Amino acid sequence: MTLIAQSIALFFLVAGTAFSLIGIFGFLRLPDVYTRLHASGKVSVFGVVFLLIAAILLTPLSAWKGLLLIFFVLLAAPSVSHALASAAYKTGIPMARVERDDLKGKLEKSGEEG
Amino acid sequence: MERILDITLWVVLGLHLLMALIVVWRVWRGENSVARLMGLDLASTLTLAVLVIVAMLRQNSIYIDVAIALAALSYISTVAIAKFISDHKVF
Repeated sequence: MTLIAQSIALFFLVAGTAFSLIGIFGFLRLPDVYTRLHASGKVSVFGVVFLLIAAILLTPLSAWKGLLLIFFVLLAAPSVSHALASAAYKTGIPMARVERDDLKGKLEKSGEEG
Repeated sequence: MERILDITLWVVLGLHLLMALIVVWRVWRGENSVARLMGLDLASTLTLAVLVIVAMLRQNSIYIDVAIALAALSYISTVAIAKFISDHKVF
C-alpha cells in the first residue's frame, strides 16, 4: 500500500486514540452528569470516526462499510446524549453549578404529553 | 512503515481495552442510574472502537459489519433504557 495512505492512517489512528483518552479523562473527572455528557459525546464521535477513517485507509474492501458506520455513529451520538440528558433532568439529578435553568418551570406543563 | 503501524495498532488496542476497564469500574461505582447508563454507553462505544482496531489488525473487513450491528444495538438499547428511567414506561 502506498506510504502516504499508511502515514495518513497512522495520523488518524493516533488522533482518534487521543480524543478517546481525553473523553475518558473528562468522563472520570467532570463534576456532574450533564457536563460528563460532553466527554462521552467526544469519545463516541471523534474517537470512533477517526479510527474508522484509518480503518478505511488500511483494511481492504472496507470503504463503503466504514462510511456507513461513520454516518450511523454521527447520527446516533447526539440523540443518545439528548436521551441521557432528558432522562437525567426528568429524574431530578442536580446540576453542579447552575448558571441558567430554562426548563425549570416548563417541564410540569409538558410532562403530561411527554 | 508496516512495523510502526503494527506496533501502534497493538498499543492503541491495549489503550482502548484499558479505557474500557476503567469505564466498567466507574459503572460499578456509579452514583446514580443515569451515570451508570452513560458508562454503559461509553463502554459499548469503546468496544466498537476495539472492533474497528481488530479489523485493522486482522486486515479483514468483516469486523466492521460486526461493529455496525453493535452500534445499532447499543444505540437502541441506551435510548430505550434512558426512556424507561425517565418515564418508567418505554412505549
